[in-house]
Amino acid sequence: MIPSDHFTRFYNEVFKFLESRGEEDLELYWLEISKNQERHILELIETKGFEGMYEYWSVIRDEENCDLDLIVDDEHIELHMHKCPSLTKAMDNDAEPMERYCDHCAGWIGPIMDKTGYHLVYDAISRTEPRCVSRIFKDPAKAREAEKSARLLMSWPGRKAKQDGSKP
Amino acid sequence: MPRQQLEKSLRYQEDGNVHLDFHGAVNTTIDFIVERYGIEVLHEIFAKVGKDVYRDLRQHMLDGDPDEMVRHWRHFFDRENADYDIAVGEDEIVLTVRRCTAYHHVAKIAPAVSPYFCDQTSKVNEAIAEGSAYRIDTEITGPGACRQVIRRRA
Repeated sequence: MIPSDHFTRFYNEVFKFLESRGEEDLELYWLEISKNQERHILELIETKGFEGMYEYWSVIRDEENCDLDLIVDDEHIELHMHKCPSLTKAMDNDAEPMERYCDHCAGWIGPIMDKTGYHLVYDAISRTEPRCVSRIFKDPAKAREAEKSARLLMSWPGRKAKQDGSKP
Repeated sequence: MPRQQLEKSLRYQEDGNVHLDFHGAVNTTIDFIVERYGIEVLHEIFAKVGKDVYRDLRQHMLDGDPDEMVRHWRHFFDRENADYDIAVGEDEIVLTVRRCTAYHHVAKIAPAVSPYFCDQTSKVNEAIAEGSAYRIDTEITGPGACRQVIRRRA
């Protein structure tokens, strides 16, 4: 058994392999993880909206021992991750960390938000600092506005296509 | 002084809560890798986990110290509240897992447990012990149950 505590270090090895195969391989994996995560979050979003997201990330905060503040109101939810245990473990690792480790997070959350009609603004801040800020809006205009202040804005499979209008 | 305070920490000592749903993501990952790239690639990734991520455990094995592996097992099987015991004998060390938390959690939350789910154990164990005076053999004894045996190579 790879302990659940060590999942992120296993994840890191998977990312490195997939990155060696190409960007498409990495994105297909994120989409697969996104589908896996739907089991845990999709119904909460569809039935409770932002409150459902708050519920989901409250459990994550506790179970994954995150230093995370959650702010929710009628228009959006914000996740202020002050110390991300996932990146912290990937970096505190006898194996080499994958340089784009942070990208997976938007890689699975983004497609779920697209699917449920929400708009994710994921500011990773830095790929070598275990902190980030995510904001999720119902109103796309507010999301586009929030993107302007992001320091390291993350994308995900499908996001760029939606922005330039090349795909529905 | 309590024994724990006298002992050196494990390389990846953990405290706090556990997030068992990660085992579901491992299950999904295993199926994804096998379907797209084949079982050999999955085993290569597990070998990297055993050799690179668990470099410290492997070094202990290379140094002729299998006790670190026992401490690792105790720490993480306790954290996940598995039903297990470890018998340390003169010729072998036997970990008997009667109820693997990872397997049973996946059985609860996922459509199916991957037929390759337990390869994470056998292949990581093999890689940790590779090149050392010991081998770690993993025998699956039932759904979510196994024996893992450390013994000197013949």
